[in-house]
Amino acid sequence: MLDTYQKKYTNNNRQFVLIDKTGIVLESDQTLMKIAFGHSIFELHPFFESLTSVFESKEEVNFYGIHIPFEDQLFIVDIKAAPVKEGLLLILKDLTEHYNSYQKITQTRNESVIKTELTVLKNQELAERERFKNSFIQNFSHELRNPLTSIMAIIEILGDTEMTNEQLQMLDFLKESNTNLRLMLEDTLSIGMIDAGQLQIQKGVFDLHKFFELLIFTYKAKAKEKGLKFDCLWDEKIPKLVEGDRLRLYQIVTNLIDNALKYTEQGSIQFDVKLNQKRANIVNLRFEVTDTGVGISEENKDAIFESFRQVKSNGTTKGVGLGLTIAKKLLLLMNSTIKMQSTLGEGSKFYFDLSFEYPLFTDSNSELSSKARRPKIEAKHLDQKKYKILLVEDDTYVQTTLFKILLNTNRFKIDLAYDGALVLQEVVTNNYDLILMDVNLPNLDGNQITRLIRDFPFKNIKNTPIIGITANAYEESIAECLKAGMQKVLTKPFEKDDLLKLIYKILK
Amino acid sequence: MQKSKKIVVLGHFGVGKTSLIRRFVTDTFSDNYKVTIGVHITKKVVEISVENEVSLILWDLEGTDDIATIRNSYLLGTHGAVFVFDVSRPSTFEHLKDDLKIISDKMPKVPLMVVGNKSDLVTESELKEVLDEQEISVDFLTSAKTGKEVNTLFLKLATLLTTDA
Repeated sequence: MLDTYQKKYTNNNRQFVLIDKTGIVLESDQTLMKIAFGHSIFELHPFFESLTSVFESKEEVNFYGIHIPFEDQLFIVDIKAAPVKEGLLLILKDLTEHYNSYQKITQTRNESVIKTELTVLKNQELAERERFKNSFIQNFSHELRNPLTSIMAIIEILGDTEMTNEQLQMLDFLKESNTNLRLMLEDTLSIGMIDAGQLQIQKGVFDLHKFFELLIFTYKAKAKEKGLKFDCLWDEKIPKLVEGDRLRLYQIVTNLIDNALKYTEQGSIQFDVKLNQKRANIVNLRFEVTDTGVGISEENKDAIFESFRQVKSNGTTKGVGLGLTIAKKLLLLMNSTIKMQSTLGEGSKFYFDLSFEYPLFTDSNSELSSKARRPKIEAKHLDQKKYKILLVEDDTYVQTTLFKILLNTNRFKIDLAYDGALVLQEVVTNNYDLILMDVNLPNLDGNQITRLIRDFPFKNIKNTPIIGITANAYEESIAECLKAGMQKVLTKPFEKDDLLKLIYKILK
Repeated sequence: MQKSKKIVVLGHFGVGKTSLIRRFVTDTFSDNYKVTIGVHITKKVVEISVENEVSLILWDLEGTDDIATIRNSYLLGTHGAVFVFDVSRPSTFEHLKDDLKIISDKMPKVPLMVVGNKSDLVTESELKEVLDEQEISVDFLTSAKTGKEVNTLFLKLATLLTTDA
């Protein structure tokens, strides 16, 4: 009686099997599988064929998680193989249930690990593609700077010659197209710099009221040309002088207003600045650009902030579609976010909040107002002699352009050099008043040549003023030029006036 | 006379060891990944030449992050080994040299085939990049999905084992 109960409650998941040294089954308690006596156990499952090595080892060996299908059932067993005098004692422990639940847990864990790994790889690949795209755009944009500089300069030179009205009109179109191209190029470069983390916010004190007045002056005329109305209203409590990045704020606001102008065919564009909060020496302002344009559909509301994406207006797209992306990314750099409300067919409002420090005590704003005035290009302070300039440039387009600009002034005598060795030869034999040095030269670059000149033992050579010319507008590149010993650096594309103004200033 | 040879197939989890064996033994493939726990053992008779057959007993071992943790009892009496990695997942081959060292320390005289599986998931150039990064030469680039090089791999190993024997 007790045997029956014992069998019921005793763990019956073990089977003992005795085999001889050839694998013939001598005995088996048949607890799990009915194994035929007198037959080779090798026929039961390929696992048992491997037991021959246990005979050789003469030590007890444990195998874990062996899958043995028997009749219609799958057993997952741990097997102890112990050499005995008859041959081998096998103890099969059925752990099917345990291994099945372990399998489920491991399945979940492994799938999750693999999924995470593949997601990371996918993201790395996407980031790599993004880097490649940015670097391609950057390089391409830089390459465009040289021809653009030449076109701009030649347009200006042509403008100074005798022309018919028709020719002047065509030149105006050419100038406008070139300016648009240049602005698009600048936008593209800005995006690249922001994405590469190379653009930094630079704070300075500026006159916010004058900033608004400049916008009114610029955009009233532009809006009028399109038959639109432009208004700018700001809260009188807004401080006049604030500390912030005027250039980037200008870039954000003008991009928003330009965008409004682009997509508004009738009605008005309103630029409002409201005072959110003024505490201690921090002022928080809300900037709003509202238009009565085409508006944006729900499905396009996210897409408009992506690079090179535009909403079609009257079936066409306008520009390269970077304005809003730049505004969004610049605001992120300033710890702010651009927001938008829009109704299709009625118009849109773009707005953001920005904090500025504002000085409580200021001496005067005379310096600021003088900065705002565009200085005239004056060369009266210079001697009447012809100044000797060495132009170091290997690009023939830029060479021709610079030659024309400089010779047209009738103030300069120009020599040309296009590589490092030639420059050093020229500076030794000639006494130059100024060197215009392209930075990106073959063999020795402009910075290396500058360093060599600065190391000359003769004062008249080593102190020759050097203006660097570069297509690379990155701050660190410019800093490197200055560190090498250049007085100033001009980035391409530049305008004729900028170049002459700088030369006159340095020669003074 | 037919000889039996034990071959262990090992590598990190999810590299396709079970799929490779299934492709070789039953010429089938499933996209569903099912984790192997413990060991699955199957057998296939391969004809090396006329009157020269070999019975391959294939031990499909549970995949692991750490090859050093493989139980020694699984490797007892092994004649040949196949180390499988996934060409599309760097984590499965970034320590290839160390993994192979551990295996050869555990089984010093056992011939070992190094196999990059899932070659169908990467392009030729990506594959070249993967291989160039390795200091160890890879014996086969297989795809259990398409069957590419799977039979060749096991036949080559079988031939090698019978020749050595």
